[in-house]
Amino acid sequence: MSDGQPLLEVENLTTTFSTEDGTLTAVDGVDFSVDTGETVCIVGESGSGKTVATESITKIINTPPGKIEGTVRYKGRDLLSIPGSELRQIRGNEIAHIFQNPQEAMNHCYTVGWQITEALQIHQDVSDEEARTKAVDLMDRVGIANASSRFDDYPHEFSGGQKQRIMIAMALVGDPDLLIADEPTTALDVTVQAQILELLDDLQDEYGMGILFVTHDLGVVAQIADRIVVMYAGKVMERGNVLDIFDNPTHPYTQQLLECLPEFGGTGGGIPGTLPDPHDPPDGCRFAPRCEYAEEACRTGEQPEEVEIEPGQWVSCVHYGPGGDPSVIGGEEFGIAGDTGAADGDSEVGPADD
Amino acid sequence: MATEGSERFDQVDWSDLSRSGRFDLSINSIGMLLTTLPLALLAVYDTQFIGDRTPTFEFIGLDRTFEAVDFFFIFTLFLAFWYLVLPLYQNPRMTRYYWKEFRRNRPAVVSMVWLGIVFVGGIIGPLVMSAPQQELLVAYQPPVFTSVVESTPATCVGEVMNGRCHGTWEYPLGTTNAGRDVFTMIVYGMTISMQIAFITTTIVATIGITFGTLSAYSGGWVDEIMMRFVDIILSFPTFLMFLLILYIYGGGLGMFIVVFSLFAWGGTARYVRSKSLSISEEEFIKASRISGASTYQVIRGHVVPNVASSIITQLTLLIPGFLLFEAQLAFLGVGDSTVPSWGQLISAGRSDLSYAPWIVLAPGIVLFLTILAFNFLGDALLDALNPEAEAESE
Repeated sequence: MSDGQPLLEVENLTTTFSTEDGTLTAVDGVDFSVDTGETVCIVGESGSGKTVATESITKIINTPPGKIEGTVRYKGRDLLSIPGSELRQIRGNEIAHIFQNPQEAMNHCYTVGWQITEALQIHQDVSDEEARTKAVDLMDRVGIANASSRFDDYPHEFSGGQKQRIMIAMALVGDPDLLIADEPTTALDVTVQAQILELLDDLQDEYGMGILFVTHDLGVVAQIADRIVVMYAGKVMERGNVLDIFDNPTHPYTQQLLECLPEFGGTGGGIPGTLPDPHDPPDGCRFAPRCEYAEEACRTGEQPEEVEIEPGQWVSCVHYGPGGDPSVIGGEEFGIAGDTGAADGDSEVGPADD
Repeated sequence: MATEGSERFDQVDWSDLSRSGRFDLSINSIGMLLTTLPLALLAVYDTQFIGDRTPTFEFIGLDRTFEAVDFFFIFTLFLAFWYLVLPLYQNPRMTRYYWKEFRRNRPAVVSMVWLGIVFVGGIIGPLVMSAPQQELLVAYQPPVFTSVVESTPATCVGEVMNGRCHGTWEYPLGTTNAGRDVFTMIVYGMTISMQIAFITTTIVATIGITFGTLSAYSGGWVDEIMMRFVDIILSFPTFLMFLLILYIYGGGLGMFIVVFSLFAWGGTARYVRSKSLSISEEEFIKASRISGASTYQVIRGHVVPNVASSIITQLTLLIPGFLLFEAQLAFLGVGDSTVPSWGQLISAGRSDLSYAPWIVLAPGIVLFLTILAFNFLGDALLDALNPEAEAESE
């Protein structure tokens, strides 16, 4: 934004669901922001609350059972407190979504053309012909061959990759300023994935929109992201510039995520353990039970405050906080150093014992 | 369920009821309005300005009286034309696909031809054929190609050979005890059957779909109350209710249709509710909400069209029940004996069964075939419109 205000600013976003087993906290006090023309990736394991966080932004989560708290400022307006009719004006028009599974996100009763123009006709005063022209243009733009004749085809007549392109066209039809892409390439094979990512990149340059990209694939992150938000069990572990984080991952979770990637010099061994029970998250740092550097201080109190260790790079870890000792985590140089780091770490802090 | 807290009925922004923000109507709606308007005016004219006994079309010299049922029947015909037939023409690809699927079911195609005959006969028949008149002289004429003992008919119209009276083309299905032509009466009965089929379907579909989707989307205690109300409707002794109304107000065809369709939508509502619930969990509903669609737009644009295919089938299978019920009531003598329905004809011929069986058999067979045809049609529609359901049932 012109006045230095980010396009989207999420502060202390908390989404809970009331279930029969008590309250489930899917997203717990998450902060991040997206600027115009910037791509921000939310990464993390499945079940970290990435999708819930993005769907909370435009209140797509059903409430009840969901409950969304915090502030989501979009161009200075708090989306969580504006009335539903205003929110609907923003959805699809200014903030658009792309879904993980294009197969299911299309209504098989209608032609793809109908579905692309849906958002346009809801929000803008356009005639059917204008809507059609725009949709055909977009279909052409996203790489559907013979767009004008395929406008009247039904979703089942498209391949998976084509459907994802149609989904992108559906999202772009309202000229959004913010595009939320929820694992848009997960259902696709790598070649198509690369094409889609490239397409998104081109479109971003063309339309100048901010992209909030959710993925668990760090390879994708490396390709497209400007900044990263690493989420784990509903909390932000680390956030910052993509290069900084890839070069110098500070949080043990980020380090271990990168370690899982053979192409970044990792062992590809995975992270031992599983996500904590969202009904009853552990005290202290959420990652402590699986963290090899966890100390007593990590297992008590709340998730540590985020600390800015480099300009723009924030981390939520006891070892970087006041009274902590960053050298405990041997992640100074990433790669083989990770192993060294493990060796350097205090021997009493072994892998989580629970 | 999916409603935002602020969105209550009284706060609905009526401008977003159409899919696009502005007030534009589809060709279907325009056609519907243009055809319904004269009908409504005619209905007002008929009820307000001319006497009950004066024929509706006296001003153009036509001796035909329209009653409420007729007006409503024509309204449902318009509805079916603009929102069922015309869309099929507008989407030739879907139509071809459905037809391809439908055609595989041979009995259903035959059934459709039969129902087409009944439909066209019911619409055009009364316009081109004069109502059967009582002519005691020609009572008990046998159908063509058959013969009865000469003493049965009052006077034999056809040839008398070997003491047997043969049927003639003048009365192809014979005549009743009052000398009315059975064929003409069957054609007039087609109108009644079609009126029952169309009007009950419209009423049941309207109430059932509205009630079902509202219930599914309200959720919580509203849903609970609405569904318990459906339970009451389903367990209501409609027949006794009808007898009571008959006793107090006297029952015509209109009363039959209204009473029975007002108590028949329970199953449809329940079905629509369960379907809507499962559809509202689909990802494309979320996609539509993310595109900024309001709850009404989601229901109207995505839920109802997805429910529609199952509903059409369900309604088709509901019609035979009504037809059969009307015939049963008529046979028991509970119906309105001035209504020329098949049931009344069967009822009238019941005492002559031993020597003039055609009076019962002809309308009975027609009724049987029609009900069978509706059942076949429903089955085929299920397969054509909703292949998943077929897979589920196998």
